[in-house]
Amino acid sequence: MKKILSAVVMAALLVFTSLAVVTTASAEDVKMVGVISKIEMAADGKSATATLKDGKSGESVTIIITDDLTLDKFKDKRIVEGDEIRCKFEKAGGKNSSKIFKKTAGC
Amino acid sequence: MLSMLLVGLIAGMSLPLSAQAADEELLQKVDKLYKEIETLKGSVKKVEDKSIGRWLTIGGDYRFRYDYLSGRTKPFTDVNATFNNAQSQMQSNFFSASASGAPVNGYSAAQWAGALSQMMTFSQQMAQVKTYNQANAFLGANQALLGSLQNFAVQVPSYKPENATLYTNRLGLDLHAKATKDVTVNTRLVMYKVFGSQDDQAVTNGNSAPYFADRVGVFDGTLGHVPSNSYLDVDRAYATWSNIADQPLWFSVGRRPSTNGAPSNLRLNNERPGNGGTPSLLVDYAFDGMTLGYAPDIEMLPGAYAKVCYGRGFESGFRSTPTNSVADTDMLGIAVIPVDTDPLRVWLQWNRGFNIFDAPSMSNTYFGNTAPKTNLGDIDWWGAGAMSTLKKVGPGDLNFFTDAALSVTHPNSNVSSQFGFQGLMTGAFFNPEAPTSKTGWAVSAGVRYDLPSKTKLGFEYNHGSKNWITFAPAADDMWTSKVGTRGNVYEGYVIQELNLKPISSYFSKTFFRVGYQFYDFEYTGSNNWVGAPVKISDVKGQMMTTTPLEYAHNVYATFEVHF
Repeated sequence: MKKILSAVVMAALLVFTSLAVVTTASAEDVKMVGVISKIEMAADGKSATATLKDGKSGESVTIIITDDLTLDKFKDKRIVEGDEIRCKFEKAGGKNSSKIFKKTAGC
Repeated sequence: MLSMLLVGLIAGMSLPLSAQAADEELLQKVDKLYKEIETLKGSVKKVEDKSIGRWLTIGGDYRFRYDYLSGRTKPFTDVNATFNNAQSQMQSNFFSASASGAPVNGYSAAQWAGALSQMMTFSQQMAQVKTYNQANAFLGANQALLGSLQNFAVQVPSYKPENATLYTNRLGLDLHAKATKDVTVNTRLVMYKVFGSQDDQAVTNGNSAPYFADRVGVFDGTLGHVPSNSYLDVDRAYATWSNIADQPLWFSVGRRPSTNGAPSNLRLNNERPGNGGTPSLLVDYAFDGMTLGYAPDIEMLPGAYAKVCYGRGFESGFRSTPTNSVADTDMLGIAVIPVDTDPLRVWLQWNRGFNIFDAPSMSNTYFGNTAPKTNLGDIDWWGAGAMSTLKKVGPGDLNFFTDAALSVTHPNSNVSSQFGFQGLMTGAFFNPEAPTSKTGWAVSAGVRYDLPSKTKLGFEYNHGSKNWITFAPAADDMWTSKVGTRGNVYEGYVIQELNLKPISSYFSKTFFRVGYQFYDFEYTGSNNWVGAPVKISDVKGQMMTTTPLEYAHNVYATFEVHF
């Protein structure tokens, strides 16, 4: 009986651990500093995609932006192609969703 | 018939061969073209990489401004004019008595020569006085001469100054250079002059006592912000190192963006100052200094940042010399901006000014060439404010702000000999006061409503208490920095942007601005930390260095181009 119980507990732990790993893997927060190479606004103006060239790896990363604060900056040209951006985005389901998207600080 | 068939066959056989040769030739040409394109692409990339547009941004602004200025003064005794009058009268009487050999006004030439000598000794000894106690001793020992000085007093009755047409030109050139990865250099060059003049006399009251301490003349912190001449001066030049250690941390040093801070951008129709700048109620001064800033990534606090700022207000040169006893004047500040978004920007600020001097270095003023002669103590400033933009409030967007501040002085025992023994917000001319801490306060509030027609309607109000002192002499006001007023200032303005397509930059624009300021002074000495304020209604002929103004009007209109 104890063996069966132990096996069930182990199996449950394994499943939980796997799920946790899967969950983590499916929604990973990434921080990055990069220069915007392209901004595309959605037709309805409620979202945009920005392509950034990662300052470290040099790879292009496309990020979806939906928050009004950043979208307003795109519309007002306060953030434009060529600007260096510090961002945090959530990587999930093959999409990168922006959580923080701002010009690198300094004055 | 056979021969024709043969020719046709040979011709038919030879066609694929020639076509094959043509294909090969074509392929070679394509290959050659591909290589040329690749070479060209490489060259273009090299040119692009080195192109000036990749690393240098040039912008700026031009402003034409018209001002109508008027006001009313209170009667006072002009200190500077009194001393000059005494000297010239004595000299004149001496020469008259010498020439005629007879007494003039009851005194012989020898007696007038003695009086002149006494005056010179008085001036020399006066300059040696450093402290409150020494001042009292000096005044006690010179009662007789001070009494006779009253005979030469230049009393200035109340009058109504007016300048119906003051025109100014201002040109600013902004350069932003990306030098290396994470390092940028920002520069702003400014020329600001009065039409028909190459000096500041039009705004400093020419050959009469100036109205305010921040408009006695142009000095280091106000160069390019108060009209002076057509020289292109360096208003800003600073280098910033960002992303230090891959963190949202930056270090910046140079002639700082410490002027035109929030919320003055609303009235000036400028872009938001961003991480640069300081609250305009507390600081508007072109500082040489440095900043260490940190902008953490906090989702709950978008745009949050904090910075420590340091600036030098006066460099005294070598110390421990036989003649130099004046310490450097420095400023230290901490700014915390917990939120910086369009709907809400909140700022908290603390500054301390160390070793505040009695007068900045200025040339050709009403008082001659001035310089710091003593340090009067320290001043603390505390401030908190917020501004917001609400979109689609009716047909347009509503911007508004509110700001509050405290100033607390910490005087030492020094008094200013060049200003009649007045101390840090203490005493009157030849009437010193024991050093005590003075606390002042100020509030400011305003709105700007932006219509879709690019018309912007604004109104601002600020009030300063009796002992309020700020550090904003570079503010864009013609009479005096309005945020330093001990009393009330009301201002309304209209901005009309022209509906023209931007060409030089995303932010280029052309607009007209028409406004009106009314200053209602309750106490004397706005923007002056030397001497105690006097209630305007109590000003009845006292000795003063600046002309006390009871109220003032300023109607202005501008034509501005930002490029």
